[in-house]
Amino acid sequence: MVARTRSAAVMAFRDQRRRPLVLIVLVLLPAYVITKSIAETLSTPKQLSLPGGVVVTTTMKELHGAGMGGVVIAFAAALLGVFVMQSALQGDRRLVVAGYRPGETVIARLGVLATATAIVVAVSALVTALNFTPASWGPLLAGLVLLGLIYAGIGALAGALLDSLAATYLMLFLVFTDLGVVQSPMFRDAPGTGAFLLPGYGPSRVMYDGAFSPSFGAGAELALSIGWLALVGAAVYFVLRRAVGSADA
Amino acid sequence: MRRADLQLLTAVLPTSLAFTREHLRAPLTLVLLIAIPVFFVLIFASILGDFAKALGGTLAAQSATAISAGWAAAFLSGTLAFFQVSSSRGADRRLSAAGLGPWRVSGARISAALAIGLTVSAVAFLTLLLRSGIGHPLHAAVAIASFAVIYIGLGALIGAFVKGALEGSLLIVFLFSVDAFSSPEMTSNGSFAWTPTRSAANLLIAAGGGQGSPGADWLGMAAVAAGSIAVALGAFWFAARTRA
Repeated sequence: MVARTRSAAVMAFRDQRRRPLVLIVLVLLPAYVITKSIAETLSTPKQLSLPGGVVVTTTMKELHGAGMGGVVIAFAAALLGVFVMQSALQGDRRLVVAGYRPGETVIARLGVLATATAIVVAVSALVTALNFTPASWGPLLAGLVLLGLIYAGIGALAGALLDSLAATYLMLFLVFTDLGVVQSPMFRDAPGTGAFLLPGYGPSRVMYDGAFSPSFGAGAELALSIGWLALVGAAVYFVLRRAVGSADA
Repeated sequence: MRRADLQLLTAVLPTSLAFTREHLRAPLTLVLLIAIPVFFVLIFASILGDFAKALGGTLAAQSATAISAGWAAAFLSGTLAFFQVSSSRGADRRLSAAGLGPWRVSGARISAALAIGLTVSAVAFLTLLLRSGIGHPLHAAVAIASFAVIYIGLGALIGAFVKGALEGSLLIVFLFSVDAFSSPEMTSNGSFAWTPTRSAANLLIAAGGGQGSPGADWLGMAAVAAGSIAVALGAFWFAARTRA
């Protein structure tokens, strides 16, 4: 089983490697958006409420430095999820017909998705580091990774259930709403009352806690994020396994 | 109407209607095509002014409301045009080879893209009108439609050369980011002032603030919009042509 999963993973990675433009855009997009937004933003004072009731005074420039990476990661990861899932639905059914178990192909595709998300997170973290110094890197990185994985999973679910255009619109709409407006501390000191219902709440609170607080105070938000990740991950595994396995019928 | 024109119309019109139906057959796509412009104008309008202020720009609240309508129309139309070219390449070649010819296929494709783009623009315009009123409604309507037309050209151009849906949609997001960050009055930095929607944005910002626009902005916008239609037509033709 391990050998076949490895072969499926190698084929899936080769499929991605044949499209170097994906890698170029995955580097270019976060690099441009993060650098440009931090460079252009003024150092206007801004108050921010962190998890645990801590209130800090920072600047709009610092807020962009802390948060723009998360927004870009969520956008890119959601689109990665949509289209990696659609590639899987097209190609992996044939592998199952040829004798692979659905779980083997699913693990290979999830490996590709996680690797591509890791690239986006690494580029974004690197570009952030060049422009912004957080109070604590650990929670900031954890927030970025969680945002990437959760949105990659949500994108994958959209890719499995909707056509390309609807899934793309939905993902961009969701990321804009969640991270661009509802969770963004640019427009209010702390997220509003219903903000915790959206997937970006936990990871973005962990991210801002790491950016502005030297001591970690976002345990509940981290647990909520891990819960979201487990839920979305299980749903993606179940949906994809069922979709590629339907070739048996 | 000449006989040849009539023949062309009878060939293109049903195909164009079929292409429009093809993109609207998923109910969620239709819902999002209406909901996103409304959402953009209602929600983003109130924060774009703050965002521009953070970037050192001078975008007033009413102008920010207006430009959010343009961006909604642009983004939805650009993504749609990209998927029209990239996902229909095989079918379009077969239609072309079956006797419709690449020009008629591209004519049908562009009329479908324009029909959806103009509908999205109309939704954005009506939301803008109902939410805050517009000093120069006709100017604003033309500018929002121009945003849509310009992005149809850009989306189709990307679709003609980029086959993968992932890299194409990421490129559109990238292009949109560059355009949004370089939009007039969004930043204090005046560099990179040649983005395709610059004249349309100037016109829309002025219309939102109740002011007219100089002839140069109208001319610039008309030239870029006409160029975009030509580019889109070429891109649809390029995708539909049969290869020996």
